Amino acid sequence: MALLKVKFDQKKRVKLAQGLWLMNWLSVLAGIIIFGLGLFLKIELRKRSDLMDNSESHFVPNSLIGMGVLSCVFNSLAGKICYDALDPAKYAKWKPWLKPYLAVCVLFNTVLFLVALCCFLLRGSLESTLAHGLKNGMKFYRDTDTPGRCFMKKTIDTLQIEFKCCGNNGFRDWFEIQWISNRYLDFSSKEVKDRIKSNVDGRYLVDGVPFSCCNPSSPRPCIQYQLTNNSAHYSYDHQTEELNLWVRGCRAALLSYYSNLMNSVGAVTLLVWLFEVTITIGLRYLHTALEGVANPEDPECESEGWLLEKSIPETWKAFLESVKKLGKGNQVEAEGVDAGQAPEAG
Amino acid sequence: MAPVLPLVLPLQPRIRLAQGLWLLSWLLAVVGGLTLLCSGHLLVQLWHLGTFLAPSCPVAALPQVALAASAVALGTGLVGSGASRASLDAAQYPPWRGVLGPLLVAGTAGGGGLLVLALGLALALPGTLDTGLEEGLGTALANYKDTEVPGRCQAKRLLDELQLRHHCCGRHGYKDWFGIQWVSNRYLDPNDQDVVDRIQSNVEGLYLIDGVPFSCCNPHSPRPCLQSQLSDPHAHPLFDPRQPNLNLWAQGCHEVLLGHLQGLASTLGNMLAVTFLLQTLVLLGLRYLQTALEGLGGVIDGEGEAQGYLFPAGLKDMLKTAWLQGGVARRPAPEEAPPEEEPPKEGLPEA
Repeated sequence: MALLKVKFDQKKRVKLAQGLWLMNWLSVLAGIIIFGLGLFLKIELRKRSDLMDNSESHFVPNSLIGMGVLSCVFNSLAGKICYDALDPAKYAKWKPWLKPYLAVCVLFNTVLFLVALCCFLLRGSLESTLAHGLKNGMKFYRDTDTPGRCFMKKTIDTLQIEFKCCGNNGFRDWFEIQWISNRYLDFSSKEVKDRIKSNVDGRYLVDGVPFSCCNPSSPRPCIQYQLTNNSAHYSYDHQTEELNLWVRGCRAALLSYYSNLMNSVGAVTLLVWLFEVTITIGLRYLHTALEGVANPEDPECESEGWLLEKSIPETWKAFLESVKKLGKGNQVEAEGVDAGQAPEAG
Repeated sequence: MAPVLPLVLPLQPRIRLAQGLWLLSWLLAVVGGLTLLCSGHLLVQLWHLGTFLAPSCPVAALPQVALAASAVALGTGLVGSGASRASLDAAQYPPWRGVLGPLLVAGTAGGGGLLVLALGLALALPGTLDTGLEEGLGTALANYKDTEVPGRCQAKRLLDELQLRHHCCGRHGYKDWFGIQWVSNRYLDPNDQDVVDRIQSNVEGLYLIDGVPFSCCNPHSPRPCLQSQLSDPHAHPLFDPRQPNLNLWAQGCHEVLLGHLQGLASTLGNMLAVTFLLQTLVLLGLRYLQTALEGLGGVIDGEGEAQGYLFPAGLKDMLKTAWLQGGVARRPAPEEAPPEEEPPKEGLPEA
């Protein structure tokens, strides 16, 4: 018993072929969109790669780019096949290729679905890469004289201004590292000497933050230094002050940005996957309908189209049988060779 | 009465004219659409920068007029492409015959007028922008400290965001901040001797300091931002005044905004000029095509030579005809009607 049989007359077959042709060219457009999205994602990851220690995984954008190109190729080929399906002479040359082509299409759809899933699952690895990369970035903030790291200050400042964030988890991260270069410290000053002596590593630690942490929505001019000292500033209480600096950490800000981006890209990829599955099913029906034309001389006759010739368990059994036969076929040949060799040896 | 600028149009040149006109009309539609987008973009930019432009400055007039003019140009392009396509097909042309005349008049008067107005505004923009920005930025700087005053409480945030986004400081330089009080009185300690001295040191009783807000800081600077005591060379250690000062943004917001908006306006002006040229060509072509086909009595494939013209008679003759027709309308007399119909017919071609 065939799976999901549908009767096709000549008109229906022609309509199916035309509809599939249009859908295939729309799908080429969708493939170009996927390619563009993959490229955009790759560029966005590259832009901030020095905040992620250059160790971020480019698996998702690369696979999206590959899928986009493959989709364009397969769908334009399918469009050509559907166009030729209306003409029996031209269709005859495509006939032997159609079954393996459909198998490749099914494989392609599976891989596309997996890539779409990956878009949603990459969040976890990105979180750990970001945490590590930002921590190192902040450590190198003061190295504006070291070649190779001299742009880290500018990168982190523009990041904090653009994403409205401060530090890794919050502004207190800046209290634990030395972010002022030794070159701009007056070592003859007592205050500097005290601070350096106050910790084991000899670092100049302040309870202050860079200017890029300042929040423009604050009603008072930005307080950057002596943040934990209430008496240093008039009418200031550091426990209740919320508007002075950005409260969000840059790791959370970047993570939410990239998550939103990947979720939208994943949603678009899933929609394209659904479209591709519809096209594959339509192509299968067209294939079986044209195969089922009983009399090749009479194109007007009715035929049946189906997804699978037998029901699913029977098809699976038949598939296993053919695989076993392949194995048995090799065995028979090997026995024949042995039998042939034995008399020779004997 | 001779027709103005007549042009003989046999069948083949007529077809060529229609085809060329079709291409030109689509080009006009595309350029009109792009100009529409450009003027929309300028309008959005001016809306964002609204706080920094004096309200009395009618700068928004340019993008609004340009929007209307480009919409008319887009419409002209679409009408032109439809009409030129129809003029090649005998079955499609009759419905266009009645509509084309009024549409041409509307396109010339409306579109042409709006475009000329928009071009004039584009040329006059720099002057108005300059005065508007001067006044607007001055007010914004003065209102920076008024974060408690309703109606002005957003000034600090908007000015900080402007300086951060456009990479500028003050009106013409960072020293503008030295001349105004930008710290709100609410955060000044009245018991601090330094505050009292500063307030008493000037006539208006303002707390003036040689410091700037954090938004003036330049992230490209290798050292953490120096915001206060900028006039005192000994206040900050190892500050070498001979080195190029990367510490703060060097440009004033007035220059930066003026350059930005003038760039947008000059792009818009260029696109309006191109639209004007294309629209003139399309309208002229349509007029010649219309009059040539009218001469054939609306028959498209007529092999006879038709004459296309701009106006059926010279300006003086047209005014006389209009005056006489107006007189007929006031005193309707049957014997005068046929002679009045003669003058327009004389203008028709004598093949």
